[in-house]
Amino acid sequence: MLRLSTILTPMPNPDLVWHLCVLLGVSALNAETNVVLTVPQHVSLLPNFSTQQLSISWLGGPATTFDFLIKRTDFNETVFYDTVSAKVNQVSGQHQWTWTSEEPLECTSLSVKICSRDGQTTSEWSETQILEGRDIPSNRNFQMYPQDKVVPVGANTTFCCIVEEGKTFKSILYGRTEMNVKRLSLRSYAVTAFDQQLSGPTGANVICQTHMNKIYGAVVFIGYPPLPTDFVCHTQDLISAVCQWNKGRDTHLYGKRQTHYSVTGRNCSETSTQQKCSLPQWDGNWTLVAVNSLGQYSLTDSAELSHRVCPVAPVNLNSDVRAWNATVLWEWKYNSYSTLALVCQVELTTQGYKTKRVFSGLGLQSVVLLDLQPDEDYSIQVRCGSQKNFWKWGNWSNTLSFRTKTYVPDAPDVWMWMNRDTTGLVVWKPLTRQQSHGQITGFEVTLWNNKENLQHIQISQDTNSIPVNLTQMASFSEDDEIIAAVVAKNVEGVSQPASVPLRLIDMEPPIFSRIAYTNSGFPLEWQQNASTTCSYLIEWHDASCRHDCQVNWLRVNVGSTNVSIESVDFQPGVRYNFSLYSCPSSSPQLIQRWQGYMQELVPSSSVPLKISQQDFDVVLTWGEIPLANKRGFILGYNVYISHGSQLSLIANLSDLGTRKYVVKGLSVSSYKFTVKAYTSAGEDTGTTASIMMEPGSGLVLDILGSLGMVTLLLFIVSLICYKKRKWVKRVFYPDIPEPKLSSDWSRTRGPLDVKPSPHSMVHIVERPEQDCIKDALVVIPEEEEGDKGHGIGDEPVDSDEPQSLRYYNQVADERPIRPRFPDSSVSSASSMDSASTDVTYTGIQTSCSSLVFQQDPQTTPESHQPNTDHSVSCGSGGGSYRPQMHPITLSENIGLASPEPLLEPQAVSSGGYKPQNSWHFDSPTEEERSGLAPSLGSPVSVASTQFLLPDEEDHDEEKLQPSTSAATWFSNLLSSSKP
Amino acid sequence: MAEHRAGTARAAAVAAQLQQEVSLLLELYKKKEDLHVDVSEVRLVSVPPPSSQLDSRDKLWRLHSALLQCRTLLERATTKEDEELGGREKGRYEKQREVVKNRLSLLLINTAELLKAADGAAILAPNLDDFEVERLSNLFELKLWIYRIYREVEHWTRTAVATLKELSSDTPKERKRITPATRSTRSTRR
Repeated sequence: MLRLSTILTPMPNPDLVWHLCVLLGVSALNAETNVVLTVPQHVSLLPNFSTQQLSISWLGGPATTFDFLIKRTDFNETVFYDTVSAKVNQVSGQHQWTWTSEEPLECTSLSVKICSRDGQTTSEWSETQILEGRDIPSNRNFQMYPQDKVVPVGANTTFCCIVEEGKTFKSILYGRTEMNVKRLSLRSYAVTAFDQQLSGPTGANVICQTHMNKIYGAVVFIGYPPLPTDFVCHTQDLISAVCQWNKGRDTHLYGKRQTHYSVTGRNCSETSTQQKCSLPQWDGNWTLVAVNSLGQYSLTDSAELSHRVCPVAPVNLNSDVRAWNATVLWEWKYNSYSTLALVCQVELTTQGYKTKRVFSGLGLQSVVLLDLQPDEDYSIQVRCGSQKNFWKWGNWSNTLSFRTKTYVPDAPDVWMWMNRDTTGLVVWKPLTRQQSHGQITGFEVTLWNNKENLQHIQISQDTNSIPVNLTQMASFSEDDEIIAAVVAKNVEGVSQPASVPLRLIDMEPPIFSRIAYTNSGFPLEWQQNASTTCSYLIEWHDASCRHDCQVNWLRVNVGSTNVSIESVDFQPGVRYNFSLYSCPSSSPQLIQRWQGYMQELVPSSSVPLKISQQDFDVVLTWGEIPLANKRGFILGYNVYISHGSQLSLIANLSDLGTRKYVVKGLSVSSYKFTVKAYTSAGEDTGTTASIMMEPGSGLVLDILGSLGMVTLLLFIVSLICYKKRKWVKRVFYPDIPEPKLSSDWSRTRGPLDVKPSPHSMVHIVERPEQDCIKDALVVIPEEEEGDKGHGIGDEPVDSDEPQSLRYYNQVADERPIRPRFPDSSVSSASSMDSASTDVTYTGIQTSCSSLVFQQDPQTTPESHQPNTDHSVSCGSGGGSYRPQMHPITLSENIGLASPEPLLEPQAVSSGGYKPQNSWHFDSPTEEERSGLAPSLGSPVSVASTQFLLPDEEDHDEEKLQPSTSAATWFSNLLSSSKP
Repeated sequence: MAEHRAGTARAAAVAAQLQQEVSLLLELYKKKEDLHVDVSEVRLVSVPPPSSQLDSRDKLWRLHSALLQCRTLLERATTKEDEELGGREKGRYEKQREVVKNRLSLLLINTAELLKAADGAAILAPNLDDFEVERLSNLFELKLWIYRIYREVEHWTRTAVATLKELSSDTPKERKRITPATRSTRSTRR
């Protein structure tokens, strides 16, 4: 300090202030260091095990801050070391501070010591105080802490397990979860459960296990503090108060840990399960306190008595019942209600329907219920409230049931259905329970006109229509209007009559309009007729019905111009006719008609389909689907052609009048066509027809017709030629003059002896007998068309086989040979030669044509018989003469134009007889011509009487023979005409 | 004799039924309390130890006495459990607990009749002190105690099934041993 003063002395004035401050500061520091901190004395520990709090008190002198050091005694581990402020308790003069342990205080022993602090200066530590844990050696038991603790959801809780002395710790499970363990002492182990969730009703188990599988544990309950709502009080007797509330959130704490309630200090725990508490007097202010282990919650309410009146339920209900109304009476539990203005609700239940009616009055004890239905069961309940300052309805009374008395029934709703033959039905709707007013015992129907009652019919209660036949009524005439009147009867009497005139109304029905069904039914609209002053009636029935139809109807008030018709009887796919009548009860007139479907479906049947061919076209025609099967308005027809299983649309015909379709230009094949009608719902399944197209049947007919005409023409020509044969012969076939030989030829009249050339030799070939028989009569099988064609095309060498012959007689005709006019058997040869050779020969060559067609009577079987005999003789002697065959002629006759005649094969088939090859190219050859007489190659018949002396021209002509077959035939024709 | 045999068979049938019901009760209890660890068995019923020297009547007496103690324990457990851990609506466990109690009572009636037929002496319900209950210091001990009671009931039910089967299959010679003479001997011993 002196030194400082010394320093200050030489300072000049500006530095004087600074020096003074420094001096004062240093002085102050010296003053502080002079305070002596006392060591805390008489430290005492007061544990609260349930709250895990340790209350520490001590004598600490003037210090206000203290350092606390808390250690686990066994392991000398610091649990807490901090400076805290503590005030002196004015009464005891002790300092006190409370420390909350994270672990239960029982877990292990704690050592506590304190020192006083004054700034950075601290006193000496106090003597260590030890709070003994339950793990001290004297307590050898297996233990766990805390026990039966209740904690809020989300809390963290530390549990410790103190194993038995001498036992080895194994694990701690929280529920089924093994926890991380912290060792606190030799025997104590701790775990901490974080963010704990709701436990079950009996808590969560924390189990400690030793290696000897011995267990011990603790139970912890995790829930919520109470949170009640809607606390309110009211009065029923106008004196006391009844307070009610809702429990609110479930605390999940039950039994001993459940919430306890009190209202304005009155314990309500006994009735807390109903959340209701009764107070004897109306205080006007109430407080609800809800308490459980985790906390408490308060709610308040205040009100005047008159504003919180909730009447009790009426008692002793009674009734005075009539047909259309009833009086209901009741009593009140409290007489004080007699001066209370009440509003009461009567709930009326009938046929399952509830209605409420409200009545009011001072001390109300009875009401009259009007507009009831006769013969109807009712049940009622009553509840009331304060009319003035209405608070809420009181409780419902017990139920009172009664049945109203019966009454005469309502008039039935009557309509009629008239058929076109003056028969019909009188129909009425069954009376509903509300209309019957008692059990219906029957109906009476009276038919009458202006003059008299025609018929009076009693009907049972189950019948709702009767048939009528106007023509059977004695006094019925066209001018009379017969009226049907129907009354219903029950035990109380008969109803008013309901009438309907019986006559056929729709003689000329208006056109039907189509109407579409909607969610609310069929919406029908019509124009209001200004002159109409009566109501309307809509009638509907199944459109497919024609006689005694089941009609339904609906009456519509006068002035209405629309109505929606809905009925549970409407069926999908059924067409309904709707008719609007005016003045249905007096003089019904048909005004308008509609048709519609509730739901259109695809037709249930298909069109009847016909198919036909017209040249190369196919004509499809079909009929109409029956009305009942249409099940929708037919919109058109689809025509399909079938390709295997696939249908291809070829026409869509939306014109309903068109029920024909022509498929044109089809080739020859098989076709399938399907016609499907369709409605708005789609197509029906369709009708399929198939057809096999024939190849041009018209052309064939044309060809056949032409051939017929040609045949007819030929026949006529032939007939003419035959009739005019002399003229024809004269013109076309004059007699051939005698040959005139030139002068160098010595013409002799007798036979000419000419040594026959080797080529003209007749070879006599011996044949076995059997062959001769076969040769005599060759049976030619009738061949198939194909075979014929085959033979023609492939084997022309066989073309001369007797394919079209039935019998082929190769035996020569032995009739006398006429030199000039050969018969048919020689016609071909003679005719051919006649025009080209000078020498006419008559031979035995048999004309193939005459044999094949057997037109000549000479070729009949009878005529052949001698030939057969002759052939037999051939076999025996072999010396008889046989005619040569003329294969070319045969070939011509079967229509073949083979240029190559058959030689050897034919000879074989001819039974060994080798024909003479006359006129042929092979005879004479060049060699033969040079060495032999020119006649050697000429055809020579064994029956010939003259040689045919061919020249080159003849030969050439022979080559043209096939083309002269017609001439041959013509020649034959002419020849046959000769006698 | 036939009546005795029928009574024994009837009691055995009841015991067998009880055995199933106790097993179910134990399962329900373990599930309710989430007890999934092994709990060491502790004998709560006090009866003379089994011995080959015991005759049929003594076996029956021992069994009946044990079952009586079981019923007392069961009733105490029920009361204590409802008091400490109850408060909720009765569920399947509570219903099964009632079933077991009733079935055990029926078995006791049957064994009492058998015992009465054997020597005419009735056994009074054991006057168990409440020491065991009072010693329970926390809810976990209560839970273990209830579990052990159920295990005890299961054990003695199993014993009852075996004993009653054994008695019902006794030879006539064996049954002759249950005579007034032997009964007087046993009474003396008691």
